[in-house]
Amino acid sequence: MIAEQTLIAELKQTETQAKAFEMLVNTYKERLYWHIRRIVLNHDDTDDVLQNTFIKVYKNIHNFKGESKLYSWMYRIATNESLTFLKSKSKKLGINDAELQQTMVNNLKADVYFEGDEIQLNLQKAIASLPEKQKLIFNMKYFEELKYEEISSILDTSVGGLKASYHLAVKKIEAFLKNE
Amino acid sequence: MKKTNKNSGFKVPGDYLDTFNDNLLNKIASEDQSSIPKNEGFKIPESYFNSLHKNITSKLDEKPTKVITLKSYKKYYYSAIAVAAVLLLFFTIQPNKPNNINISDLASSEIDAYFEDTDLGLSTYEIAEVIPVDDLELNDVLETTINDEDIVNYLDDNTDYINELNIESDEY
Repeated sequence: MIAEQTLIAELKQTETQAKAFEMLVNTYKERLYWHIRRIVLNHDDTDDVLQNTFIKVYKNIHNFKGESKLYSWMYRIATNESLTFLKSKSKKLGINDAELQQTMVNNLKADVYFEGDEIQLNLQKAIASLPEKQKLIFNMKYFEELKYEEISSILDTSVGGLKASYHLAVKKIEAFLKNE
Repeated sequence: MKKTNKNSGFKVPGDYLDTFNDNLLNKIASEDQSSIPKNEGFKIPESYFNSLHKNITSKLDEKPTKVITLKSYKKYYYSAIAVAAVLLLFFTIQPNKPNNINISDLASSEIDAYFEDTDLGLSTYEIAEVIPVDDLELNDVLETTINDEDIVNYLDDNTDYINELNIESDEY
């Protein structure tokens, strides 16, 4: 992989843009895919959000000041895109966020791209019961195995706050799974 | 470490100590599984990631065309504004011309007819933005004028509860 600075510089130049963009997509597509998938749960929605995320990155790369790392900037866009997507979805269906989370988890049973068993379904139910920020933090730490420092720069939250939230989230999920 | 078992009569099954480590590790593994599983069960369509870049670039190629059409509209707007400005100058710069028609010469019935016949498509908000609501009196929007006596009579006949009027308590 080429250095981040070079990649950004190439993305900003018309002649090298296309090639650099392909490199960017190939480098980050899987990580961002899973990040988004854990928020919106269903593959087709993830595909939409992921494509929009990369399109936003492409169009806004000129505004990228380099104050944060490229990947945390992209993660932030992906997170915002996912949350906005869910908000508009709940608005369209005329239900609130909690009801939407319930519907999404219930839809997993019939989802061809979900092959989890009872335990995994319960895990999703447990995660869905968490407040939005705890859910993001739990997924990023437990499944995506990001460092607290990385999550901190993506979510703009202090490391101490993240540790506390993660600890709480784990306790809640364990309690939820025990009671099921 | 010294072995301290001086034949106290206790026995362990033959391979117990040999297999102890494995059993312990298995036990730890199974305990771990009972807490939070690492595998979520999500799947993705085959070769999804291979075609992703192509899909995104094709979307990127689509979008600029939309932008161009918007810009070309803008050009029309500019030329429309330019034409309007020229016409305005034309009418205002020749004040001595005898047949000069301006807005006050249009009969108000014609203006009324225009508004009646043309659907301006204004929403209530847009109308509210142009019409100064503060200056409006109730009688401006009514065909006939209502005097205070009629209002009092109406309320006497039709209001069962004084609360329905939402009058502040110190007003009566």
